Amino acid sequence: MKMTTERIESLAAEYVLGSLHGRARRRFERWMMESGRVRQEVWYWEQKLGQLSAEVPSVEPPKSVWQAIERRLWPDTAKSGARAGSGLRWLWPSWSLVATAAAVMMAVLIVQQPVPAPQLSGAIVQANVSDPLWLVSESGPDRLLKLRSIAASAADAGKDYELWVVPEQGQPLSLGVIPAGGVHQVTLTDEARTALSQSRTLAISLEPVGGSPTGAPTGPILHVTKLYEL
Amino acid sequence: MSRIDASQDDLMRLLIAVSHEDRRAFQQMYELISGRMYGVCLKLAGQRELAEEALQETFIQIWHHAREYHSDRGTPLGWMMTIARYRTLDLMRARKVRQHAGEDQLEHVEDQRAGPLDESLRSAGATQLTGCLSELSDVQRDSILLSYYKGLTHDELSQALSSPIGTVKSWIRRGLIALKRCLEK
Repeated sequence: MKMTTERIESLAAEYVLGSLHGRARRRFERWMMESGRVRQEVWYWEQKLGQLSAEVPSVEPPKSVWQAIERRLWPDTAKSGARAGSGLRWLWPSWSLVATAAAVMMAVLIVQQPVPAPQLSGAIVQANVSDPLWLVSESGPDRLLKLRSIAASAADAGKDYELWVVPEQGQPLSLGVIPAGGVHQVTLTDEARTALSQSRTLAISLEPVGGSPTGAPTGPILHVTKLYEL
Repeated sequence: MSRIDASQDDLMRLLIAVSHEDRRAFQQMYELISGRMYGVCLKLAGQRELAEEALQETFIQIWHHAREYHSDRGTPLGWMMTIARYRTLDLMRARKVRQHAGEDQLEHVEDQRAGPLDESLRSAGATQLTGCLSELSDVQRDSILLSYYKGLTHDELSQALSSPIGTVKSWIRRGLIALKRCLEK
């Protein structure tokens, strides 16, 4: 795409205004990641148009908002939630509930990550750990899902981490065992790729060395994350 | 409002503390700015539930990304308010919230001249941006302000302003470019 000054100016302004949406907005976000000049232009407009916010009257939010923020960031239940899995076989229907209650996971959009044109991106993070455990990015054409370890620590002795695609419906699909360190790449099958593009949800469970013997998760679900489209 | 203006330094200190995972600083910051932020989210979303969710998402993001703030992004408050607008817009688009020009039509039924844009916002906009908004044509200014404050899409603007979508797009585009030329003077 040709980057004339005027084009950058008007797209950046429309991005900040919010009138740029859908595909055009995502394309522009990718462009922002690749170009410092585009980012500078966006920041310019954020500051200029941002002055308009100063005129909107304050409204006191209900107390429940702060309580919800606290629950999500520092769930007292997180530890007991993770422990509950040991020794018990996980029941998939209750899984999303437990995951929410445990709430140790929060997908965050990683901006300014200079990865060339990923389609899905996100991070696996844990409350009280400042860095993400893993950064995740998907590159469409070569069907690769890449996990870069940042702050993940090794699994307990005799255990492995196993990565799953959680489809909108049906059983999770294994993407195999993942190491705690380094960069790990998985080539997605057609089935996994379709499921991931629909649900955008990944999970990591703790399994016996070598991965689940049954093909379905048997250990506790440690993390669930929703990826973002870029 | 002056309380906030006077406290940019405080917010800077708090934001640095938050980047070091200081929960108390985080809560203080919430107490200081959540009212203003919620006001903007609510104006934009036009409904409480979505605005509350956006406010929540914004603070979660601030907690995780405080260290990404730098001065090129504007003041700490400006940066955080920008995040709040984006999160609100994201949720509105995801939920396919249909925006119309305003609840203000109910609040100011008697004032037909105000058109689709609430008068208080129009005059508010005029005093900001160093008077440059007043150099735009009425339609250019109104389309920009309606997009900014109410999150109207091109389609919704075209209905609110009873004009073809192509016309509305060009008002916005030309208005923004004219605005920038004026601000650069």
